[in-house]
Amino acid sequence: MSDKLILGVPSKGRLMEQTAEAFAAAGLTLRKTGNERGYRGEVVGFPDIEVAFISASEIAWYLKTGRVHLGVTGEDLVSEQMSDAASRVTFLKKLGFGRADVVVAVPDCWIDVRTMADLAEIALPFRRAHGRWYRVATKYLNITRRFFAAKGLSDYRIVESLGATEGTPAAGTAELIVDITTTGTTLAANGLRVLDDGVVLRSEANLIASNAAEWSPATQAAMNEIAARMTA
Amino acid sequence: MPAETAKHFEALEASSQTLLSVFTRAGFEAVSPAIIQPAGVFLDVVGETLRARTYVFTDPDGDELCMRPDLTVPTCRLHIERHPEGNVAAKYSYNGPAFRFQPQGSGHAHTREFRQTGIEAFGEANRERAEAEIVATIVAGLDAAGLTNYTLRFGDLGLLRAILKAADMPSRWRQRLMHLFWHPEAFKAELRRLTLEPGAASAQIPKALRDVLDPDNPAAAEAAVASYLEANGIEPVGLRSTAEIAENLLGRVADARSDPLSEKTAQLIASYVAIVAPARSSARRIRELATLMGVNIEAAVGAYEWRLELMSRAGVDLDRAEFSAEFGRALEYYTGFVFEVVNPSLGRKSPVAGGGRYDHLVKAVGAAEDVPAVGAAIHTYRLLAALNNGGAS
Repeated sequence: MSDKLILGVPSKGRLMEQTAEAFAAAGLTLRKTGNERGYRGEVVGFPDIEVAFISASEIAWYLKTGRVHLGVTGEDLVSEQMSDAASRVTFLKKLGFGRADVVVAVPDCWIDVRTMADLAEIALPFRRAHGRWYRVATKYLNITRRFFAAKGLSDYRIVESLGATEGTPAAGTAELIVDITTTGTTLAANGLRVLDDGVVLRSEANLIASNAAEWSPATQAAMNEIAARMTA
Repeated sequence: MPAETAKHFEALEASSQTLLSVFTRAGFEAVSPAIIQPAGVFLDVVGETLRARTYVFTDPDGDELCMRPDLTVPTCRLHIERHPEGNVAAKYSYNGPAFRFQPQGSGHAHTREFRQTGIEAFGEANRERAEAEIVATIVAGLDAAGLTNYTLRFGDLGLLRAILKAADMPSRWRQRLMHLFWHPEAFKAELRRLTLEPGAASAQIPKALRDVLDPDNPAAAEAAVASYLEANGIEPVGLRSTAEIAENLLGRVADARSDPLSEKTAQLIASYVAIVAPARSSARRIRELATLMGVNIEAAVGAYEWRLELMSRAGVDLDRAEFSAEFGRALEYYTGFVFEVVNPSLGRKSPVAGGGRYDHLVKAVGAAEDVPAVGAAIHTYRLLAALNNGGAS
C-alpha cells in the first residue's frame, strides 16, 4: 500500500475555499489532480501527501475510521459522530472559519423558560397537559443527549430533523430545537430564542488528526510538516 | 462474553432452561415476545436515556422499529394483545436476547447483545404478595442454577411518596421532588432551593406581568399573559398554550408567597434518602425518622414490613438483604418496590438480576387504565460469569 499521508478536505462551497486559503497561507497549495470535478488532489511540491475532497458531513467519519490521516471539519460534526472524540482523534489547530454555535432554542413566547433548569421544570406539567414528553427537533442526536444529560434532563424525546429545523415548533412537529446558528436571525424569524445557558458548543473548522489511521514514519513526518506550517 | 462458541451457548442455554423450569413450575407461563418492536412505544416509555442506547432502524415501509432493549415492555405488549382490557391476572416467563449500545470500554459484563431470563406478573391486586413472589421466584431460580454467593438490595418508591405526602408543603413541590428523585443532584438542589428561596424564580417574571398574576385568581392569568405577549410583539409559537405558561408563572408567584420548606423537614427528607440499612432493621430506622418528622407513614412502612415478612416465608434469606432508600432504577418506569441481586465478583454496577413494580407501563402500551405489574429479569451472561468466578463456592 501507498505510504502517502491522506488529507481530507471539504469538497465544495465556501468551506472548500476557506480551507484552501488557510493552507495557502501556510505555503501549502491544494490542487485537484485530473478532472476538475474529480475528488483527488495534491499539495503542490509535497509528493508524500494526497488530498481527498470529501463531502463536509462525512469527514468526521473518515477520521474516526482512519480512512484519512488528517482532515478539516467542524467540532460539531466530530462531537456528534464520536461518543469518545478524545480517544479517536487529535485536534491540531483551530482554523478560524466555519464558526457556528450549536444552541438550545425555545419559542420566544415561553416567557417562563430562560434556562435549562426552567426547561426541566416544565417537563412534568407539559406531559400532564399533552400526554407525552416535549419533543426536541435536531440533527445532533448525540450532542443533544449528552448536553441534556449533563444538565440532568432526561424527560424529553428527540425527533430527528435533517432540514428546516427552526420551523418545527411553528409547524407543531417539535416543541424546541437544538441547532446550529451563526447570527440568530433565522431563529428570531421563526419566533425562537436561545436559552441563557443554552450554548451547547462553539464550533469552528479544525485541522484534526485521526488516531485510527495507519501511521508510518513517512506519514508521521508529513503530518509534522503540515502541523508545523499550519500552527506557525 | 457473548456466546460466540457452541460451548458458551450450551452453558447459557442450560442455565436458562434451569431458570425457566423453576419459573414455569411456579406458574409463570413461558412466552416468546417479538425481538423487533415498534420504536415509538419504547421511546415514549423509556425516556431518552435508554433510547440513546437502543438500536433503532427504519424498515422498507418507512416504519421506525427497534431491537428490544429489554423484555419487559415486549411482554406488556404481548399481554395487551391477549387481553386488550389489560387488567387481567397473568404470569409470564421468557428467555431471549435484548440489545443495548454500550460505549467503548464498558467491560465484558456489558455486551451490546445479551440474554435475559425473567418473569412478569400482571393484574395482581395484592401488591406485596406479588412482589414477594417475584423476588422469591428469582432467588429460587438462582439457587437452582447454583449461585450461592450474592446479596440482595431493596428500594421502595412508595416510602418516599408517603414521606413527601405527609410532609408539610404545597402539592406542586411534592410532585416536583418525586419527579426529581431520579436525578440525585437535582433532587438535593431542589430541596435546598425550597428551604432557602422558593420564590426566587418569580423575580425573573417581568414586573408588569408579575403585578397582575394572582394565584387566587387563576382565571385572569391566561388573559394577562396573552396581553403581555401581544404588547411586546411576541408571537405565540408551538403547541404549548398560553394557559400552560400562565399556570407555570402562577406556580412561581404562589411559591414566592408560600412559607419556605422548613429546614427540619428538608433535613429529614435528606436523611431518609440517605438511609442504607440491613433489611431486617430498616423498618425501625424509617419509623424513627417518621417520629422525628412528626408524620404518620405507618401504612407505607407496614406494607414494607409485610413484604419482607412474605419474602422470608417464601424462602428469601433476609440476612443477605440491604435496604437503600436512594436505590432507584436507571429505568424510570418503576413506580414502587425495586430490587436487584448482586454478585461480589461482578459488583454493583453489573447486577445479576433486577426488577420491580411498574404500574404505569401497561397503560402506556395501550391499556385503558393502570394495571398492577411487577417483574424481574436475570442477565444470564452475568449469571454464568458469576458461576465461573466461583459464585457457587
